[in-house]
Amino acid sequence: MKCNEFEFEYTVAPNEIAGDACEHLQICAQCQIFVEQESTFESQLAEVVNGATPEGLRQSLREHVRQEEKGAWRWPKASMALAASLLLAVGLVNINFTQEQSQVTQLPIDQLVVEHFSHDGAHSMEVSHQLDPRQLLKVSDQFGVRVTLGEHISFAEKCPIGDSYGLHMVYQYKGEPITIIYMPEVTLNKILPFQYAGLKGWIKPLETGSIAVLGGATIDLPEEELAEKAIEWL
Amino acid sequence: MLQEKRKKLEYERLVLVYSDELFRYALWLCRDKSMAEDLVQETCMRAWKSLEKLRDNTSSKAWLMTILRNEHARQYVRYRPDMVDLDLDMLSLRDTDNDTSPDAFALKQALNELANEYKEPLLLQVIGGLSCEEIASVCNITKSATMTRLFRAKQKLRDVLRPDEDER
Repeated sequence: MKCNEFEFEYTVAPNEIAGDACEHLQICAQCQIFVEQESTFESQLAEVVNGATPEGLRQSLREHVRQEEKGAWRWPKASMALAASLLLAVGLVNINFTQEQSQVTQLPIDQLVVEHFSHDGAHSMEVSHQLDPRQLLKVSDQFGVRVTLGEHISFAEKCPIGDSYGLHMVYQYKGEPITIIYMPEVTLNKILPFQYAGLKGWIKPLETGSIAVLGGATIDLPEEELAEKAIEWL
Repeated sequence: MLQEKRKKLEYERLVLVYSDELFRYALWLCRDKSMAEDLVQETCMRAWKSLEKLRDNTSSKAWLMTILRNEHARQYVRYRPDMVDLDLDMLSLRDTDNDTSPDAFALKQALNELANEYKEPLLLQVIGGLSCEEIASVCNITKSATMTRLFRAKQKLRDVLRPDEDER
């Protein structure tokens, strides 16, 4: 491969260069300098292009679809109740989210929580100041709960956890952000501690659903009593 | 009901993972925050309505970008002539600035001035992280055309930052 061919291939898509280009790079000092310059340019470009996104964008996108859905799907409540009774009667509805018997959820709940954190963790912890109480109220209302840790909550969103929704919050505990996820549809028989993928935490069963608390492996997590104190049912 | 719930969860996943990238791409297309938000909203609504068509989860990003691009072409392009004037362009440049260095400003201005045929593939690569093949499918051009456009776009932008550098 010639240097100008390498430069073309690398400029077009630095992450997609083929094997022969990689081999050329290893032996060509001139192209190694070119790659260094290109990396700087790519970083500058990414910095310029990737600006900030508006706060609450995700929430508004969810809300928009919810509104549309309300308009489009107006089934009579009586019919819904009758259908639900029938389903119950023939035993079709048998969704048990316990860790051992879960039919819908593919992964154990602790893994689902960790998986969700890997998607949303970095974004959720960007802010460290108190979340607007009205915003917290709006989100927690959707779960039929009040969050009693208000002044220490810096983030709250309704998020998918496995096959159900959870109230994902970030709680400033001893100056460090920890993640709390209330999962109304996930029930457990006992407290489930976990530690892997650089994270540790526990999931505690509640009167309705369960609550997960997690943070980095070296972080100081609150005691499990926090679970009962964190929320009140409306 | 379960199917409906799965659809909702899949939609939630898409919103969670891709809304930021969709917004950034929309902002570059519209150059106006409110219009970009509307465009993303419309894109997500269309995605929701045709979510059943998304068979392969690994292509969801390119699928969403295609919807957004088509929606932009359909809804906004015809209004652009009324909007484009120098002041508004410069205002939108400042409005979305993160890095305020002269280099960043020059780069942003040069990017804004790029013809759409060069700008779009570049934005899809930098914002969405799409591969050349995915960009080709979103822009409805061949892979080799995509590669040529990406090369030329980057060459033009690089010249803005290093104008004195001779071609090697």
